[in-house]
Amino acid sequence: MSWLAIGALALVGIAIPLAMIVVSALLRPAVPESGKKTTYESGEIPTGSGRVQLNIQYYMVALLFVVFDIETVMVFPWAVMYRSALEAGVPLSQALLPLLAFIGILVVGLVWAWRVGAVQWTRSIRAATQKTERQNT
Amino acid sequence: MVSASAYVPAIVLLPFVSFIVALFGRDNLPKRGAYGGIAATAGSLALSLWVLVSVRNGAAFQETYYTWATGVGSQPWGLTFGALIDPLSALMLVIVSLVAMLVHIFSLGYMNDEDERDLPRYYAGLGLFTASMLGFVIADNLLMAFMFFELVGLCSYLLIGFHFREPGPPSAAKKAFLVTRFGDYFFLVGVVAVFTTFGTAAFAGTESFPALAEAALNGEATVWTPGGLEVSTWFTIVGLLILGGVIGKSAQFPLHTWLPDAMEGPTPVSALIHAATMVAAGVYLVARMYGFYVLSPTTMAIIAFVGGFTALFAATMGVVKRELKQVLAYSTISQYGYMMLALGSGGYVAAVFHLTTHAFFKALLFLGAGSVIIAMHHNEDMWDMGGLKDKMPVTYWTFLAGSLALAGIFPFAGFWSKDEILYEALIHGLDEPLILGAYVMGLLAVPVTAFYTFRMVFLTFHGEPRSSLARDPHPVRWNVKGPLSVLGVLAVVTGGINMVPVQKVLGIEGIDYLHLWLDNHWGGIEGLSSHHYAELNPYSSQYLFGGEVSTVLAGAAVSLGLALGGLALAWALYNVADPAEHTDKLGGLKALLYNNYYQDEFQVWVADNTRAVAGSADTFDQGVIDGVVNGVSSVSLLSSERIRRIQSGVVSNYALLLTLGLTTLLVVFGLIGGWF
Amino acid sequence: MSLLLQGTATDWVFSVRALLPVVLLALTGLVVFGINSLRPDGRDNKLLALTSIAGTLSALGVAIWYLLAGTGQPTHGGAISLFSGAIIVDGLGLFFTAIFTSVATLVIAASYDYFETDANPASFYSLLLLATTAMGLMAVSNSLATVFVSLEMASLPSYALVAYLKDNRGSVEAGLKYFLIGAVSSAVLAFGISLVYAATGSLLLPDIAAQIGSVGDLNGVLGVGIVMVAGGVAFKTASVPFHFWAPEAYEGAPAPVSAFLSSASKAAGFAVGFRVFATAFQPALDIGIDWGLLFGILAVVTMVLGNFAAATQTEVKRMLAYSSIGHAGYALIGLAAITAGASATNATVMGAAMAHLFVYGFMNTGAFLFIAMVERWGVGRTFEDYAGLAERAPMASLAMAVFMFSLAGLPLFGGFLSKYVLFLGAINAGFWWLAAVGAVTSALSLFYYSRVVKALWLEDATTDLDAIGDAPTGLYAAVIVAGVVTVLLLPGFGPVIETAEAAAAALFA
Repeated sequence: MSWLAIGALALVGIAIPLAMIVVSALLRPAVPESGKKTTYESGEIPTGSGRVQLNIQYYMVALLFVVFDIETVMVFPWAVMYRSALEAGVPLSQALLPLLAFIGILVVGLVWAWRVGAVQWTRSIRAATQKTERQNT
Repeated sequence: MVSASAYVPAIVLLPFVSFIVALFGRDNLPKRGAYGGIAATAGSLALSLWVLVSVRNGAAFQETYYTWATGVGSQPWGLTFGALIDPLSALMLVIVSLVAMLVHIFSLGYMNDEDERDLPRYYAGLGLFTASMLGFVIADNLLMAFMFFELVGLCSYLLIGFHFREPGPPSAAKKAFLVTRFGDYFFLVGVVAVFTTFGTAAFAGTESFPALAEAALNGEATVWTPGGLEVSTWFTIVGLLILGGVIGKSAQFPLHTWLPDAMEGPTPVSALIHAATMVAAGVYLVARMYGFYVLSPTTMAIIAFVGGFTALFAATMGVVKRELKQVLAYSTISQYGYMMLALGSGGYVAAVFHLTTHAFFKALLFLGAGSVIIAMHHNEDMWDMGGLKDKMPVTYWTFLAGSLALAGIFPFAGFWSKDEILYEALIHGLDEPLILGAYVMGLLAVPVTAFYTFRMVFLTFHGEPRSSLARDPHPVRWNVKGPLSVLGVLAVVTGGINMVPVQKVLGIEGIDYLHLWLDNHWGGIEGLSSHHYAELNPYSSQYLFGGEVSTVLAGAAVSLGLALGGLALAWALYNVADPAEHTDKLGGLKALLYNNYYQDEFQVWVADNTRAVAGSADTFDQGVIDGVVNGVSSVSLLSSERIRRIQSGVVSNYALLLTLGLTTLLVVFGLIGGWF
Repeated sequence: MSLLLQGTATDWVFSVRALLPVVLLALTGLVVFGINSLRPDGRDNKLLALTSIAGTLSALGVAIWYLLAGTGQPTHGGAISLFSGAIIVDGLGLFFTAIFTSVATLVIAASYDYFETDANPASFYSLLLLATTAMGLMAVSNSLATVFVSLEMASLPSYALVAYLKDNRGSVEAGLKYFLIGAVSSAVLAFGISLVYAATGSLLLPDIAAQIGSVGDLNGVLGVGIVMVAGGVAFKTASVPFHFWAPEAYEGAPAPVSAFLSSASKAAGFAVGFRVFATAFQPALDIGIDWGLLFGILAVVTMVLGNFAAATQTEVKRMLAYSSIGHAGYALIGLAAITAGASATNATVMGAAMAHLFVYGFMNTGAFLFIAMVERWGVGRTFEDYAGLAERAPMASLAMAVFMFSLAGLPLFGGFLSKYVLFLGAINAGFWWLAAVGAVTSALSLFYYSRVVKALWLEDATTDLDAIGDAPTGLYAAVIVAGVVTVLLLPGFGPVIETAEAAAAALFA
């Protein structure tokens, strides 16, 4: 019977958005206009194509961010319980060392990424030419 | 003391080692491998003699060396390799290794001195042949015997085709191989039949198939038969199946046609393989499992009749041949016919006796022929010879000894053995028309044999030289004369091992050594004695003229008289200074004999007319068997193609298929497991 | 190591010592990073390769040493449980670690030549080492949480490795596909784990096993969870229907990476599968969750599909990719033939599957490394392009022939014995149909494997083979070593199967 409830929930979950679309389609007036078909760009008039290539460096930064994001997630609970653990008599080698090792590994990774130039903003040829074009105009 | 039995495998392995050495040593060997072969066969001979002596001292044995396959189930069969050393195989070991050694020595003169090429290949073939033949002799079960039987056939093929660059030998080799294989096919079916019937293929012991067959006939044991067939009928069929291999290998009618063509091989090979040993394999096999054959009167009668017929039939063809070796080839067929006649008519000892004497005198004749061929610069036509008597005395006198033995002239070896065969056939045949018929044919073959033998001797050695080659023959050396002399002596004296007529007539006991030997007088294996065979024998003995002695004397007198008659005719016709061909007097017979009764043509005709059978077999093979195989593979390939198409390269399809697969699994297992 | 064998799992020194192979691999990865950080512009290919090989070899050595010394095995105090039971060091873990490190060693040796011209080989070596580390962790994971984390740890470097040739469209495409399918599969696995947790209330494998008896009405939830966990395993082992990434990834990836993925990564998947299903889910067989049959079906479909698809390929590398899927099917027999309560036969057949993976690790790696060599020479990819290579590179071609025949299971090489023992084990366990399918598909596999040998040895070269002048040392050494080991595993199969069966038996004890 528990499955029946899940099935009913799924059914309702699908039915609600469908019903909204159907109801609005029934109620709204049909006024075809070209402006309705354009891409919504926060009120601006859209320019260029929808497909934009971003510099790979954005991803590198994002990846490095994720690393430290996760680090924070891991360090936070540790920080919360660190003091009480010490008070409870847990030796430092077990309370502090594992986290240091963890951060140490991340540091090695970061240093390596830094050294091989992952955080350095490279200039792609296209970006360079665009820049010169802008300066010339 | 070290027992000879421990060295039995070495008898087989020594020539095998020489084969390996010749195979890999190639041209680096002294005398191109001849010395290795001589040493190996001499070693085998020495060990064989030792074994013979130890069997004489009662040390016959059977031993399994290696089980190479064991079955499963409650009564598993084992496929084994082992040795059965009894008086028969010990004797045969000595014969084979002795002739092999002499042939190796002779080959020095025939092959090395003539600067033949590829000699290591030749000696490798001889080595492998000797090893296989010795392995066949010691085999203690039918399957092992079959395997070595095939090996000797292979070696025969290789050695007949030794001069493969000439047109004749390869074709002769193929013919020999195919014709004997035709017989071996039946043999193989017979081996399988023996296994399914008895669950064993051992020759000796209480659990051997001859013993089981005997027990089954006496109702003491049960054996499998197809479709509830009568036991005795089934044994006859099995016996005949195995006989197929025997007839092919021992060149009996109608599968004898390969042997004359096999003379394309080098003469020492003819002496070793196609006269003394391999051709004897068939006869030996019958003797080896005589305890089985003797249980089936029908098979025995067929063996005797085929033997007698072949003896006469082949002898008549030998009369008109021009080539020396062709005459000998037909005489070989004929002589093996005698042995089969002896076996079929219950003369086990007589057959072994003739096997022994024939091995010596026929090897002698072939080697003598080889010597003549050397002298004649490889011209074999007897009409180009003549007058060689004075130029090559050793060859002449030894050849003459062999010829007298072959013709069955008193007191040479052949006389004694042939006489005993005819005697056995006679006394057992008086109640059995089939045996009697075989006896008559055997008897008629005697003068023919004497005639063609001495026609050969007179044309070759007597009279005036009829060509320049014969006037100035190439000399031969010690390595030719030595083996000839040894065999010449043996051809004269071998008869002494079995003086049955003398014993019977003069009443001297104990000079029938071979009889005693094969009767386990000095020990042997239980159930393999001639005495035992005689008890199982379906024949009764009848004597003419009121007694055994008179029958012996009458038989000997008749056959000796006929032999002398044939000799006299040959003398009259050919022992003149300038003999003429008398074949025209034969009229229509001449063409018939020259063409060997059109046997070859007949076989070709049979082959041509059974092409439809072969064709349908081919169609079956190509259509059904290959069709199934090809069908399976094309179905696989087709479905593989389908599978390949699933891999579309579009990753979203993969995700879809993956999800669908998982969902299917979830649903199926949910339903099976009743999760929902 | 007497201390190690007896100590209690409290202090981290002990943990490090117990996990020494894994720790060594991780440290080597960090050292490679360090070397590269010190000299970011120096390529240091040789130094990096040697460091990496030193790391994998020492890890291999320690794993073998522990195996021989009996660490974590029933004879020496049993499995060593670490981190509150989340990790367990035992025979199975060490056995698989030996496989991973052997494969990694061969692959690194080959990569030294393969990436000779690469701008920055350090990242390759470190990715490979970290992936191997994660595999080592997979083999010792005793909790579904560590299973998931280590599996992801192994997968992420693998995606990057497949796409390592950044300028090669095939490589990048393969990496992306692998990543996407991997993401789907990870989701399935994570969902499966959550369902299992929901039903049993634990992530530790022994606790799950203890709880399965009392799931009651939740057996449906547990069943769905188990099937989904099986899906996660199937992804890692490239079994149908989670195999779609494999042909593309193996074909597009640099050949050493293909070797690594198809041998080590597959074995890692089996390590997880064997441990999770044998330890945690075995009692589920009693309550109507017949995952044995599930794996039986997967095994049959995988064997059939892998081998049939391999038969029609025109490119050697893709053929090997499919054959590797087929071999996953053979190893799945080790899970499929498990029945409730039959510890002895279960251990036998699973041990046989482990031994097969061990042999497979060498022969399959060797085969892919031969392809790496051919790729380096710049000869084409199809069977025709391989024609006549034996004339120019007889030793390597001989080794390739050994790999092919061994993969097919011809009775001259290690692959024969492992397949034989595996099928025999399946028959003894009553699963003759698995053995029959395995035997039939093996016979079929001989067809396409022999095509390679035929092309190499019997056919005349169709292309210009002048480029095959140089003999890359590392690649050649790796191929030859793999070949020699494949041959030696025929006489030396005894210790391997004994170790594997002992390790499997400990799991079922």
